Amino acid sequence: MLRKLRKSLIWYAFVAPTFILYGLFVAYPTFETFRLSFYQEVATQQQFVGALHYIRLLGNQVFLAALLNTAFLGIVFLMIIIPLSLVMASLLNNLRVWSNLFKAIYFLPQITSTVAVALVFSYVFQPNWGLVNGLLRQLGVDPLPLWLAEPRYVLTGSRAAVTILAIWVALGYYMLIFQAGLQAVPAELYDAAVVDGAGPLQTWWLITLPNLRPTFIFLFITGTIDAMSRFSDLWMLGGPAGTPARSLQTIVLYMYQTAFESNDFNLASASGVILFVIVLIFTLFNFRSFLQREFSGQSGA
Amino acid sequence: MASSENISRARPVWTLRGWLSSHRNFQRVQQVIIFIIMAVGAVAMIAPFEWMLATSFSRSANVAMPRIPTFWPADPSTFNYKVAITNLPLVRYYLNSLFVTVAATLGYLFFSSLTGYAFAKGRFVGKSVLFIILLTTLMIPFEIRMIPMYLLMRQLHLSDSYAALILPFISGGFGTFLMRQYISAIPDELIDAARVDGANEFTIYTRVVLPLCGPALAALTVLSALWRWNDVLWPLLVISDRHLYTVTFGLAMASRSQGIFTGVALATSTIAILPIMILYLFLQRYIIRGIMLTGLKG
Repeated sequence: MLRKLRKSLIWYAFVAPTFILYGLFVAYPTFETFRLSFYQEVATQQQFVGALHYIRLLGNQVFLAALLNTAFLGIVFLMIIIPLSLVMASLLNNLRVWSNLFKAIYFLPQITSTVAVALVFSYVFQPNWGLVNGLLRQLGVDPLPLWLAEPRYVLTGSRAAVTILAIWVALGYYMLIFQAGLQAVPAELYDAAVVDGAGPLQTWWLITLPNLRPTFIFLFITGTIDAMSRFSDLWMLGGPAGTPARSLQTIVLYMYQTAFESNDFNLASASGVILFVIVLIFTLFNFRSFLQREFSGQSGA
Repeated sequence: MASSENISRARPVWTLRGWLSSHRNFQRVQQVIIFIIMAVGAVAMIAPFEWMLATSFSRSANVAMPRIPTFWPADPSTFNYKVAITNLPLVRYYLNSLFVTVAATLGYLFFSSLTGYAFAKGRFVGKSVLFIILLTTLMIPFEIRMIPMYLLMRQLHLSDSYAALILPFISGGFGTFLMRQYISAIPDELIDAARVDGANEFTIYTRVVLPLCGPALAALTVLSALWRWNDVLWPLLVISDRHLYTVTFGLAMASRSQGIFTGVALATSTIAILPIMILYLFLQRYIIRGIMLTGLKG
């Protein structure tokens, strides 16, 4: 018994560092976010206030607008990037020359820091001399769109600009994941379809798409979680308030502004808990397919 | 009789060949169309970077930008770079980024593989429960934990230190999970053989397990390095001392004051990203493979 325990000790030593760090930087902060969200600082003392902050948030136009905005930006982004990257990946999969070069080029924005990309795009979308409007002017477009200076829900406003930015950044990654999915479709299925006399479009619709189901689920859910926690690029372009007119403010920007500009850690924590619940719903959906992906990824490695 | 049979047999071959050649033509046209579409996309990917590069070499860009975008500076000069380097301690920022990235990544590789080994091959009470607890990390995004993490750093007097930028990231649920999956596939016989030879578990870990984990460690290196190098939210919370700015964070902070000088701002961002891009040129195969293996991005 003692021998057995001594033998296990080494394993506990191997997992101990990870669990100490897990306790400090994952378990404790998560618990603390929940706790803070039910308290209020009164004269440097934390006082229990129940669901007060949640009631405040649900009646808070700024928070609700940020929540709606996060969802809107995320949905539009996913509705464009998933079909676009699937088509591009299917095309690239059929290209016999330079396909690795294209893959590397499309992936380039992904390794570049969001900060640098957002900085460059603040100039790309500059209304008077930016790259986009410069080209539009050459094409005779008049009046030129305002892009990042236009807070309304229009196709050439701030939300459109940051969506173009997000698609430009993410396209290579989504294509890569779709390509991995496409290459995992068994070749026999395609051979069988050819024998049965199916045309290319029929094959794509009846064989490729259904077999990409796990890839769709994976990208949809991880894409949703990324969109829910979007921060850096919008912070660079519009600051913590999501300028212009809060059109770019997301939940995390709202959290940041509430905690570090208004110094209301309790209210910010409550908005963090709401973010947590939304992310959790999507993660639980994802968890099974995520594990399956990892296991199948190992056999291929 | 024999000749007519030959002809009737030759005909389908001939028509098949005819069909094949038209099919080949069809394929050629298809390849050209795909190539053009991909090339247009590639130009859209590169154009902003090229425009940034061209503008960064234009001194007049600080005063007035040309109304028609140019991809070659009208007045090539290194003025903007000289200003950028004098304005900001970019070398210092680079060293900070390098130190933080290397330290955090080494830690991440070490603890992920060590704990991953224990979960893959170890026998101890509570193994599966502990593993499931660790997996919950995957469900808790950093943004949700950031406020208490910031408060903790302040309490520990670690704000404005390298430790603040490194410590929270030297281990992680995802890394441990990936390493456990990878190490599970290593045959037990290899490990048992080493054990029979009298090696202790740590020796087995360093001598037997780690050398077999190349692809998984490479993938984690890519992810951890991209995460640390490009992070801006966490430095924004815990770093206010300029001497500790990383390149990415320094660029973010500088962009607020330099914003009006387009040429200088774009020179600064070129300095911040060009070395990474050159590194990417050499390592892109490994980077892309790493991202594909893990399914995660930087």
